[in-house]
Amino acid sequence: MTNDRRTLDALTNKRGMNNQRRLADGIKDFITYLSTSLSVLVLGAVFVFVLTRGWQTLSWDMITGDFWGGNFKVNFTETLPGTFTAPGSLPQDAYFSEKYGFAVRDDKNHEKKDIMVLLYLDPESPLKTSVGATAGPTLDQPLSAGIGAEIRKITYVNDDGAKKSAGLLGKQNAEQMVFTLDTQSVSVDSMDFQSSGGGIRGSLAATLMLIGITLVIALPIGVFAAIYLHEIAGKGKITKMIRAAIEMLNGVPSIIFGLMGMTVFFPLTRLFGATTPNILLGGITMTVVLLPVIIRQTEEALITVPDKLRMGSLSLGATKTQTIFKVVLPNALPGILSAGLLSISRIIGESAALIYTMGTFVVDRPQLNGRATTLAVQIWSVMSGEQPNFELASAISILILLMVLVLNVSVKMITASLNKKWKE
Amino acid sequence: MANEEAKSVTDTDRTVDQLSSGGVMFRVQDLDLYYGNFQALKKINIEIPARKVTAFIGPSGCGKSTLLRCFNRMNDLIDDVRIEGKILLGDRDIKDANMDVVRLRTEVGMVFQSPNPFPMSIYDNVTYGLRCQGIKDKALLDEVVESSLKKAALWNEVKDDLGKNAVKLSGGQQQRLCIARAIALQPTVILMDEPTSALDPVATGKIEDLMETLKEDYTIIIVTHSMNQAARISDKTAFFYLGDLIEYGDTDRVFSKPADPRTEAYITGRFG
Ligand SMILES: Nc1ncnc2c1ncn2[C@@H]1O[C@H](COP(=O)(O)OP(=O)(O)OP(=O)(O)O)[C@@H](O)[C@H]1O
Ligand SMILES: [Mg+2]
Repeated sequence: MTNDRRTLDALTNKRGMNNQRRLADGIKDFITYLSTSLSVLVLGAVFVFVLTRGWQTLSWDMITGDFWGGNFKVNFTETLPGTFTAPGSLPQDAYFSEKYGFAVRDDKNHEKKDIMVLLYLDPESPLKTSVGATAGPTLDQPLSAGIGAEIRKITYVNDDGAKKSAGLLGKQNAEQMVFTLDTQSVSVDSMDFQSSGGGIRGSLAATLMLIGITLVIALPIGVFAAIYLHEIAGKGKITKMIRAAIEMLNGVPSIIFGLMGMTVFFPLTRLFGATTPNILLGGITMTVVLLPVIIRQTEEALITVPDKLRMGSLSLGATKTQTIFKVVLPNALPGILSAGLLSISRIIGESAALIYTMGTFVVDRPQLNGRATTLAVQIWSVMSGEQPNFELASAISILILLMVLVLNVSVKMITASLNKKWKE
Repeated sequence: MANEEAKSVTDTDRTVDQLSSGGVMFRVQDLDLYYGNFQALKKINIEIPARKVTAFIGPSGCGKSTLLRCFNRMNDLIDDVRIEGKILLGDRDIKDANMDVVRLRTEVGMVFQSPNPFPMSIYDNVTYGLRCQGIKDKALLDEVVESSLKKAALWNEVKDDLGKNAVKLSGGQQQRLCIARAIALQPTVILMDEPTSALDPVATGKIEDLMETLKEDYTIIIVTHSMNQAARISDKTAFFYLGDLIEYGDTDRVFSKPADPRTEAYITGRFG
C-alpha cells in the first residue's frame, strides 16, 4: 500500500501532474457550476417574467369567463316564467326577478356610463336556456350570459301578445326592468347583453376534455403494449426492433404527428360528425404522441416488480395471464399512475400537434367533435392576432406552469414511494 | 375434510402411490441441460423416493437449483434452455410438450430461497393457488387456509389477523406462509431451494421440524448448503459437482461412508 503510494507520488511529481490536474479539475468544476446556475437562473427568469406580466390578469373571473367578450343577442329556448326564490346572499341594491330567477343591479362602467350587471342566475332560469341569435360561430350554439355580464335589454311578450323591451335600452334601470318583467310579461323572447371576455373557460374545458379523451384511448393501449413487450414477448430481435421503433417515435417532432393526425385520422372523426379539426382528433393524435411515454413508463414500473413474485405465482399453478393480472399489474399500478400523470402534463404543454388537429380558434363552449384550443394553444392564439394580449398569455402561462409543477411533483413522490416499497 | 374436497375440485384424484411407481416419485434418466452452450447438468440419473426427504448438496454452481427447477418446469421461464433425457413422474415424462405445465405445478409445489409472499393478505396468499384454479367457495377456502396454515405451523401466530399484509410478517413467518401457500394446493411433491438460508436459527429450526412432519404426506426435495441440515432432516442425499451427480444414497451412508473422495472432501468442509 505504502509502496504504491510512493510510486504514484513519484510519478505525479515527475510529470507535474498535480498542477495540471488541479487546473483541469478547476475548469471542469467551473463549467459544471456555471451550467447549473445558468439553468436555475433561466428557470427563475421565466417564472419572474411570467409572474410579473400575468399576475394582475389572473383571477377567478378570468378562469371561469368567456374569451369572446362583446355584444350578444340571444334567443331563449325556454320562455315561460316560473316561480323562483332569491338566494340569501344577494347584496342590498340587487333586484331579483321571481318569475325568471335572476338578479341585477345598477352600476357604472369605467367610462362612467350606466350599466346593469347580472349578479345571479338560477340554474333553472329560462335565461339559462339561451342560444346565440346573431350570425357567426355562436349562432344557435348555447350562449348563456355569465355572472358579471352587462344586460342591455330583455324582450318580453305582454298580455296582448306584443313584444316589448325592458332594460337600459328601454330607458329602465334594474328595479324598473325587474318590476316590468315580473308584472307585465307572459314570456321572455330574447336578450341583449355584453360579456366582458378575455376568459379561458373554453380552453380550460377543452384541455380537460382532451386529457380525458387521450387518457381513455392511450392508457389502455400503452399499458397493454408494455405488458406485451415486458411480460409476454421474448427477448428476440423483433421485440428489440419494436422497442427501438417506439423509442424513436419519442424523438419525432410533434408537429409531424399533427400533420399525420390531420390527414390520417380526420376521416375517422368524421364518423362522429366532425366537419372541422376537433378535440377528438386532437386526442387521437396525442395518443400517438404519448404512447412511447406511457409504454416506457409502464415498462419501468413492470421492471420494479420483483421476479420472485412472478416465479411464486407461476409455481402455484397460475397461468401467465393470471400472474400478470393478479400479481404484476397491481404492483405496477403506482407506476402506471405516474405514466398517466406524466401524460397529462405532456398534454397540457403540447401545442404543435394540436394546431392542425384542433385548430387555433378559441371556442368558449367546446364540443368533442368541434374546434377548440387548449390553454397552451390559446397562448399562441392570443399572441398571434393583430393586438397580442401579452397579459392574458402570461396569466395562462402561470396556470400551465402551476399545473405542470403539481403533476411533476406528484410523479416524483409516487416514484419515490415505489422505490421505497421494494427496498426493505 | 376440506383438503379432500380441494383435491376433487382441482380434478386430481391422484394419490402419492398411484403417481409414484414402487415408491419412486421422480425417475430422471440421462438428463442433460444446457444454458445456451453451457452444459449445467450432465447425464443425470436419479430416482427420488416418495414420501421421503431428499437433499441435494454440492458446491455453488454445481446445478442443484437447475435440477430442482426441472421437476416443476420452472426452467421453461429461462430463455435459451435446452433439456435432453427423461424426467418421469409416474409414467408421464414431464418434459413432454403436451404436458399440462400449469397442472404439473399444482402437483409439484415450490418454496424459494428468499421468502416471496405476495403483497396481499395472508388469507389471499394461501388461497392464491386455489383461486387461480377457479375455486371461489368461501367455506372451502376458509378450511384450506386453516388446515394449510396449521400444517405449516403458522396458524397459531396469524389466526387472529388473516387480513394482515403478508409482507409485514417476519422472514421466518413469511417462509412458512410460502410453504402453507404451496400446501394449500395439495401437491404431492414440495421442492425447496435453500428454504432456510435467509432465516435465523430459530426460524430454521421451525422449518426443519416442519419438514419432519410434512414428509408423512409429501415428497420433499430440498437444496441445502448446510451439511448439518442435510444430515438431520433428509433420508437420501445427492451430491453434485460441476453438473455431475457424483454420489447418491441413504443420508446416513453418504455422511458416514462416502464412496467418492470428492463427496468426503465436500461434507467434511475441505472444499466448496
Ligand atoms: N439462467 C441461467 N442462465 C445461464 N446459466 C445459468 C442460469 N442459471 C444457472 N446457470 C449456470 O448453471 C450452473 C448451475 O447453476 P445452479 O443455479 O443450478 O447452481 P446451484 O448448484 O444451485 O448453485 P448455488 O448453490 O449457488 O445456488 C451455474 O454454473 C450457473 O452459472
Ligand atoms: Mg441454487
